[in-house]
Amino acid sequence: MLKRGIALMLFMGLVAVIGGVYAIGEPASSETQTAPAQEAWQAEFDDICSRSQNAMTFSQQELADLIQRCDVLMPKIEKLDETRKKVYMGRLRMCRGLYAYVLESKENQKK
Amino acid sequence: MNRKLLFVLALVLIFCSHSLSQTGTKQRRPLPYEFGRVVLNNYSEKADLSPVVFEHWIHRSKFTCRVCHVDIGFAMKAGQTGIKAADNERGYYCGACHNGKMIADGKPVFAACSNRRLSYGDQKQCDRCHSLGKKVASDFDFFAFSEPLPKERFGNGIDWEKSEAIGLIKPAAFLDGFSIPKHFLAAQKDFELNSKVEGMPDIIFSHKKHTVWNGCELCHPEIFMGVRKGNSRYTMVDISEGKSCGVCHVTVAFPLTDCQRCHTKSVQP
Repeated sequence: MLKRGIALMLFMGLVAVIGGVYAIGEPASSETQTAPAQEAWQAEFDDICSRSQNAMTFSQQELADLIQRCDVLMPKIEKLDETRKKVYMGRLRMCRGLYAYVLESKENQKK
Repeated sequence: MNRKLLFVLALVLIFCSHSLSQTGTKQRRPLPYEFGRVVLNNYSEKADLSPVVFEHWIHRSKFTCRVCHVDIGFAMKAGQTGIKAADNERGYYCGACHNGKMIADGKPVFAACSNRRLSYGDQKQCDRCHSLGKKVASDFDFFAFSEPLPKERFGNGIDWEKSEAIGLIKPAAFLDGFSIPKHFLAAQKDFELNSKVEGMPDIIFSHKKHTVWNGCELCHPEIFMGVRKGNSRYTMVDISEGKSCGVCHVTVAFPLTDCQRCHTKSVQP
């Protein structure tokens, strides 16, 4: 009786595991995995580029740090799907370009 | 003697043909409803579709330049973005708004067409944008739209800046999912650009006017790369060829024919 019960439980467990795998399916593609706002690269991107309007108020060190953060983020964006890579590489280049431009302007002022 | 004359005549002919090829033919000035129109044909005809006709006037009344050209990522030159139907389907570029979900003027914004096999209904959907050479009904009539707005002499015939100032248009500066909440915009001071032509009033460049609609990174450093004031030389020839100010002020923003809009400073006696 006990053996039958254990066998039944094992069988049900096996069915549950197999059913679960089918229900979950294959891992989702990078496009559908998570909403963009939830991804780490996106949070970093938003944080870097949200400061562009105040670029003129930053010190040279702060600007250099932002440029470095852009450079660290670029390879992560390179790995995204074609569409997001096209959109966000372009946007990141704009932010980086602005910070580099303002940094150069500040360096020139000091000369 | 005859040979010499022929040689001189040939030289004159070569010189004239070269000069004519430099100047080209005079272009027709676009009508108010055509001004700012962009035709996109990166992939359309390859996919047996008409090229896309994009009207700036209706879009600029709804959003600032920055939303589309920075936050969504449209390039500043026609055709350089390389938009594909798949991009729109994924909800980027045109698909950022044209997704059948966004509500504007109380109704959903029509969805961009997709890569999937087209039925007759889909074809009509595609024609809304892939409309070059077709008579396609639009939700917006330029004349009805522009009628209450303050007038200007050139371009769309609309004073866009004044239209916004008096609240007749309210271009949104933020698009959910694309725009990043930003801190307040510390606009740089206006500055003067000296005219190189005697008697021509100097230019007062308003940073404020430009940063409100464009932000900073749309212009610097891509369009204006000179860092130190006075180091970059801007000529009307370059501008009319679409460089510096001409990136916008030839095709979309008020055109170069409207001299007094930029050359605003009084001439010194």
